[in-house]
Amino acid sequence: MTTDDGIVYNRSLLGVENITGTFEVTRDMILGFARSTGETYERYIGDTNGKGDISAPPTICNIFVTGLSRPDIELEFGELSFFAGQSIECKLDIKPGDILTGRTKLDNVYSKTGRSGKMVFTVWQTSFMNQNSEIVALVNESFVTRNKNA
Amino acid sequence: MNSKTLYFEDVDLGDEIGPVERIITDEQVIEFVKLREIEFESGPSRFTSKEVAISQGLTEAIVPGAMNIALMSQLLTGWAENVCLLKIDVVFRKTVPHNTTLIFNGIVTGKNDDSGNNELECDITMQLQDGVKMVIGNSVISLPNRL
Repeated sequence: MTTDDGIVYNRSLLGVENITGTFEVTRDMILGFARSTGETYERYIGDTNGKGDISAPPTICNIFVTGLSRPDIELEFGELSFFAGQSIECKLDIKPGDILTGRTKLDNVYSKTGRSGKMVFTVWQTSFMNQNSEIVALVNESFVTRNKNA
Repeated sequence: MNSKTLYFEDVDLGDEIGPVERIITDEQVIEFVKLREIEFESGPSRFTSKEVAISQGLTEAIVPGAMNIALMSQLLTGWAENVCLLKIDVVFRKTVPHNTTLIFNGIVTGKNDDSGNNELECDITMQLQDGVKMVIGNSVISLPNRL
């Protein structure tokens, strides 16, 4: 069972969308992402000389999600916060030179109680739009906060 | 990665994807974190430093969640060269350590061509060699028709 009863946070932030950043996708960025995650497909890493047309691996928007500035929801609970889960909808290919604009909103805050005690989940929703005003990806992130000694 | 081509008609419910074994090294994590400049410039983190990880109640440096989802997506895009990833949804059940054998598995659980997108639903997991599941999730991919 989930509930938001008794969770103290800044509820005025719920559902309010903010432009949180504009990001240029560079070829180096795509190659670095591909290298670090062990991609071997030519469409992500280019030919043997690293040349040729490439597109970004489908989850590359994550590196921009991390860089987004989000408002403090002033949650009055817990000391430890972890990334609990994430979903990504890939709408369009992302190419070198694309300029992406991120828009983020606080989508939900709820609690669950398990064996290790109470946990509060905070869900953020981010959309990325390219320079042609096309949505290229939708990202939902869920963070869990719990007490240190739970 | 696989250079084979798959078609929607080739796939049935219950078909398995993988297993694929991967080891994520310290160097790969550092390279990934460097892409996220703000985080990297703020100094050592639980992703790059065992000391910081321990100070945050962990036992060792961990693989970033954003990197884990990229690795999970590779199980799917690596299945065949023409797989198109439409959606991936994961739950991080445990923190994922560096330099440890990770086993990725998937299974096809749904097949739907009603929308004309030739969609396949798949359950996916990342687990350790002892079977402990670290990341679980599901995804929707698409494949073209055989002409």
